Amino acid sequence: MKKSIIHKVFYAHAPEIVWDYLTKAELMEQWLMKSNFELKLGHDFQFATGPVPSLDFDGIVYCKVLEIEPLKKLTYSWKCGPGNGQITIDSIVTWTLEAKDNGTEVLLVNDGFKEANFNLVIFNAMNQGWLANMNKINKILNEKENGSTSA
Amino acid sequence: MRMLSEKSLPINSLAEHFDMSRPAVSKHIKIMYNAGFISIEDIGRERYCTLKKDGFDELQKWINYFDNFWKTKLKDLETLLNNKIKKS
Repeated sequence: MKKSIIHKVFYAHAPEIVWDYLTKAELMEQWLMKSNFELKLGHDFQFATGPVPSLDFDGIVYCKVLEIEPLKKLTYSWKCGPGNGQITIDSIVTWTLEAKDNGTEVLLVNDGFKEANFNLVIFNAMNQGWLANMNKINKILNEKENGSTSA
Repeated sequence: MRMLSEKSLPINSLAEHFDMSRPAVSKHIKIMYNAGFISIEDIGRERYCTLKKDGFDELQKWINYFDNFWKTKLKDLETLLNNKIKKS
């Protein structure tokens, strides 16, 4: 099973130009997606694309800037879900730039895919289980209380 | 769930592995069944639980989707950069 996405591309342009296209929201929008990205460590931002119903993906990618090494490296978290900020997939995107004679070699790695879904669904299931039990207890207590007051 | 990852098991033999009553085990199984983690099938006099692998394939679907996504986007960036330079 494939767990990491790795693409290496050579662009016949200087690292400064490529870096701008990776780190300026207005330029990123032209080829990647619309976002409120800022080149600030710890900055939370979102990308917005069209929804993908087959994946139960609402088209919003939730990210946080994790690492900045100007002109060389950029890392952000990459999380998606069905909507309302719920996360089912959790991963990391890392851009690495390497200056070459007549351009830039760009390495994109999207990995660390975690089954956020798995834990979340278990959590929800358990949570609902508890909620049902607590509702039951509540009902019993209420009935008891009502019973005793009416008696 | 780890026990079920290897093979399907009857509820009774699953229950033997846990320090809780049979009804308590049934309740847990019902929660996992409702959450879509396991399927339940009657074979003979036993009820067999099977782990559903859909959840795991789901992750693979996401990875494949983003693999293509990045491939396309990186190509778009190349086109954009090349056009930009030509114009200027």
